[in-house]
Amino acid sequence: MDPQDDSFDFLFKIILIGDSNVGKTCLVQSFKTSQFCERQQNTIGVDFTVRTLSIEGRRVKMQVWDTAGQERFRTITQSYYRSAHGAMIAYDISRRATFDSLPRWIHELKQFGAANVLTALIGNKRDLEAEREVQFEEACKLAEAKGLLAAVETSARDAWSVEEAFVMMARRLLMQNDTSVADDHTHAVMLRSNSHTVSLTSASSADEKKPCAC
Amino acid sequence: MKKSRSVGASSSLNGLGKQDGESRRKRKMAEITQALNMTPVDVPALRRMAISEGGLLTDEIRRQVWPRLLNVSVDNIPEQLETVDRDNNKDFNQVLLDVQRSLRRFPPGMPDEQREGLQEELTDIILRVLVKNPQLHYYQGYHDIVVTFLLVLGERLATALVEKLSTHHLRDFMDPTMDNTKHILNYLMPIIERVNPEVYDFMQQAEVGTIFALSWLITWFGHVLSDFRHVVRLYDFFLACHPLMPIYFAAVVRLRLFDSLSSSKPSSESLVSDIQQKWVSSFTATALAAIFRPCC
Repeated sequence: MDPQDDSFDFLFKIILIGDSNVGKTCLVQSFKTSQFCERQQNTIGVDFTVRTLSIEGRRVKMQVWDTAGQERFRTITQSYYRSAHGAMIAYDISRRATFDSLPRWIHELKQFGAANVLTALIGNKRDLEAEREVQFEEACKLAEAKGLLAAVETSARDAWSVEEAFVMMARRLLMQNDTSVADDHTHAVMLRSNSHTVSLTSASSADEKKPCAC
Repeated sequence: MKKSRSVGASSSLNGLGKQDGESRRKRKMAEITQALNMTPVDVPALRRMAISEGGLLTDEIRRQVWPRLLNVSVDNIPEQLETVDRDNNKDFNQVLLDVQRSLRRFPPGMPDEQREGLQEELTDIILRVLVKNPQLHYYQGYHDIVVTFLLVLGERLATALVEKLSTHHLRDFMDPTMDNTKHILNYLMPIIERVNPEVYDFMQQAEVGTIFALSWLITWFGHVLSDFRHVVRLYDFFLACHPLMPIYFAAVVRLRLFDSLSSSKPSSESLVSDIQQKWVSSFTATALAAIFRPCC
């Protein structure tokens, strides 16, 4: 193992949840290896992935807990919610039902997670634009209504905004833990210009809301 | 632990020449044929063959022996399989999602058309067993086991064996909830403690938990092994043993992995999670090969 990988300034645990087959494992793989695996099989229980990011000179270790989507595994995955600093709830923009499940996932997170867990909605499979069943505005509205950090659309297949979504989480968590990191909103710029902008609500002060520009 | 130890011990049978291996293989095949031809069939002998070095050797032998190990009477299996009503099935959508994503479970190089046909059969076997046994509930990973039976036995025989397996060996995993599965996972740490308290202490300290063994347990390692030959060899063993053997085997694998990683000691929270991750991801056929030395 790369000895560099062992040293870090911050360690954040991110739990990745959402319905079956929305692309959770592919998102993690894309973040870890920048590759898309066409033959990805289902996840059983929980899988762990670690990647260390460098943000403003700080080494931020992201430990991602990728979970199984099937309902029956929840009693097992729920025990991982409590120690998570951040949560990414994924859905598939081409399957309405996976979006309709979001309130239930958010509720579970509230029930079993820490009170201040940073949460983002991830609309994956952005490459399936022709089959889109969920508009980005809807995700933004839901994120705002539930007081979440952001709504982002991604494509694990095209490595579209995947890295950015994780970096955004890392940055926000860093800001909470290290006051010397400024909230200059530059991370919004880091999303591709031809992608949807992220709706941001500051984790520390609710009056800093940025509208969801779609 | 007695059984898994004896299996471990068989791995010390190495360093023998190829010719020697070939003659042992032939001898074993003759012994299996003899056991099959006895009246009644010598099932205890078949069990010993399935457990001992090399397992049942070939899929052709497996087609004859696996039904015996599960006490399924091949003569009573109907020639025609029932048709499956896919539309009115609560599990259909999840089964379909998982079967569609099961490409890795088929031999590399298999033509797409053939694989797609087998995937249809896989879906049908699963739904057929579930419809016939409404007390059983589908879990992600069940298809990893069923596909192995399909590839070795074909649809008709696989349906009969999978049904038997689901109402016996896999029954606890197929409850409405995973409470019983969690209960079985809880056997893992006491087994490890009994064999090696040092490993137990390390794992407790590292707060590793037992989740890493979940897929091993409920798929009989089918989910994590990439070489089909290793999967069927392991299934020979599990079919010949008590239904709780997979959790004992998981303990053996974990203990072996600890030995191979014993230079890594947890010194910080981060290192612990790295080791944890390494443990989970480093389980490969190599670990299996170290425990089960393939015959010849």
